[in-house]
Amino acid sequence: MDGFLATAPFTILFLPLFGTIVIALAGPRVHRSGAAIVGNLAVLGAFVLTAILAWAVWHMPVDQQVLTVKYPPAWAAHPAYWAHIPPLTISFELRIDPLALVWMLIVTGVGFLIHLYSVGYMAQSHGYRTFFAYMNLFVFAMLMLVMAGNFLWLLVGWGGVGLASYLLIGFDSQRVAAVVAARKALIMNVIGDVGIMIAIFLMYAHFGSLSYKEVFGNVTSASTSALDWIGIWLLVGAVAKSAQLPLHTWLPDAMEGPTPVSALIHAATMVTAGVYLIARAHPIYDHAPAAAMTVAIVGCASAVFAATIGMAQYDIKRVLAYSTMSQIGYMVLAVGVGAYAAGTFHFVAHAFFKALLFMAAGIIIHNLGGEQDIRKMGGLARRMPFAFWTFLIGTLAISGIVPFAGFFSKDDILDELTLLHHPLLFGFAAFAALMTAFYMFRLLFLVFFTGNYRGDHDVHADSSATMTVPVFILAVLSTIGGWFVLPGHDEISKALQGAFIDAGRLPAMGEFNWPITAVATGAALAGIALAYWLYERAPAVRERLSGVLAPVRRLLFNAYYVDTIYHWLFEVPALTLASDVATYVDPDGVGGVTAGIARATRGVGDAMSGWETGYLRRYGLTMVIGLVLVLAYYLLVVRGGMPVGI
Amino acid sequence: MPQVPLGDYLAVSAALFVVGVLGFLMRRNPITMLMAIELMWNAGNLAFAAFARTFADMSGQIFVFIVVTVAAAEAAIALAIVVMVFRRRRVVDVDDVAELRG
Repeated sequence: MDGFLATAPFTILFLPLFGTIVIALAGPRVHRSGAAIVGNLAVLGAFVLTAILAWAVWHMPVDQQVLTVKYPPAWAAHPAYWAHIPPLTISFELRIDPLALVWMLIVTGVGFLIHLYSVGYMAQSHGYRTFFAYMNLFVFAMLMLVMAGNFLWLLVGWGGVGLASYLLIGFDSQRVAAVVAARKALIMNVIGDVGIMIAIFLMYAHFGSLSYKEVFGNVTSASTSALDWIGIWLLVGAVAKSAQLPLHTWLPDAMEGPTPVSALIHAATMVTAGVYLIARAHPIYDHAPAAAMTVAIVGCASAVFAATIGMAQYDIKRVLAYSTMSQIGYMVLAVGVGAYAAGTFHFVAHAFFKALLFMAAGIIIHNLGGEQDIRKMGGLARRMPFAFWTFLIGTLAISGIVPFAGFFSKDDILDELTLLHHPLLFGFAAFAALMTAFYMFRLLFLVFFTGNYRGDHDVHADSSATMTVPVFILAVLSTIGGWFVLPGHDEISKALQGAFIDAGRLPAMGEFNWPITAVATGAALAGIALAYWLYERAPAVRERLSGVLAPVRRLLFNAYYVDTIYHWLFEVPALTLASDVATYVDPDGVGGVTAGIARATRGVGDAMSGWETGYLRRYGLTMVIGLVLVLAYYLLVVRGGMPVGI
Repeated sequence: MPQVPLGDYLAVSAALFVVGVLGFLMRRNPITMLMAIELMWNAGNLAFAAFARTFADMSGQIFVFIVVTVAAAEAAIALAIVVMVFRRRRVVDVDDVAELRG
């Protein structure tokens, strides 16, 4: 068993990278289905191994569930073999603990389902092999991120998922919008990478180490303000990666990528990396109350902010993107107040139902020939019953209706907020829950009921089994995935105990606080009822309301003009500066200097070449004159007078 | 034997040098110009030898040998050039060979 525990993490981590390399090297020599098989098997293999590893770890005593594995193990006695800059040793170190295992299970498990879905979804697209190579690369980078045992390897994974995200958003490189969105995502993610880099520098300064074990073990040796700064810079990274305020604008644009990419990267896994980071760095936040409070406020603000925008969007994927931002806001809020288990639980539930929603939406988009505008949809419930029922399950789950997954996880977060005495945050979170239910059911009604489909393409409801099976599995998981936590019975907290053993407290969940549950469910039902009334029962009221609220709707539709503000605040000055430099500084300044030097040299050369007459005797004369001048200088100036006698 | 004073040697040396300079500047036949250069070399040699003798320092004498050697090499190269130019151009006037102007 020890041998397995030592080798399994390494195998899990590198299996997807191996898949990428095989697909890339094989290239067009193998049939395209070969690439799909390799890509799927690599992730499936990683999932199976992860499941066995998780089983093994969870059967250990709680205080031994944190495994630190260094590769190669024999080097542990010789730190100089690794990057060794005394006092800093950076080893290739993986850390397997319950927190990492939860993320690994979701990344490989949901990741595999989405790989399977892609087999059917991407069947018509160019670059089929490349797609699977990129997807495997993403899984590798994401595993690197969650399995890393020190902050440097975490940053490697962090940058790697950004790269994979960039490649996959811009996968359809013929479309300008996709390429622009990819570039935007990369730039905003890099802002976050820099934030983490600064946090790493600070950790090096205060702890002399980047290893989780040493940083978290010595966390009390640093001052609170130092920990606050580290926490804030880590938050910058988390905010960029998890599309929280104010670095969120890349996520809606990232919907330009293929739908499986949206499901895997921009819903289930990568965008939750910020939540993982904060849960992972919990010893720092436990001792940095100001930073932790900032995290909670950012999360809460993002949850409310995104939910309001979600109410006024017309692109099915953009609605889902804003709901992702909002739900991640929930998770960030939870880990910010110290409810790490609740945040992680919501991540798991969200991975199930949001991947489900995206993939069900993908089926709709696929069957409508690429149509994404919900104003053109309607009445699709009869035409695509499978998509409808699965989408309905996902919608109920995200709205927090019992007994679906989102109910338990959202309820947990709201519970924690009251237990930890954050009434204001609780109020906003409950309000966001109401809006979530409203805009999700608005989406559902507009797509599946109100009116009839009036798009340009024919509806052809044929989905291959590779597409429907993963969606079905996720629908089941979205239904039962919340049952880890039932009254008096809390598997999530028990499972995560090992990772948070050093936290101040591990909240005991599973003690349902019925008034809170009533508030949460009431908010969700109110949102649903409002959506039903406005979109199904009283279209006249809706018309009148949308007339009255036109400015508000415009504001929300344009997402509070944040993009426009950033455009004027950053893009325009940068572009103006660049074009001014190109127009003035470059030709007249830089160019002027170089051209001036060239002109001067040529002028001097022209002037001097007049002396080069080619007449030997004139050269002789010049030499004689020079000789006379030198002599005269020597005699008159250096010697200071004519010689008198010798 | 009475010593010839240093000033006399230098006067002869200066006269030879001036003759050489004027010859180099005023004649257009390359052979004659080479001879003028030889005069200048030897004016220098005479001054070296005279100083060496006056100050009893043999460096000056040694310099003369070196100068003679270099002068021989210079004359050989210069004559080779003159011969080649003559073969190609059939001219013996340096002013007709002025293609290397700037």
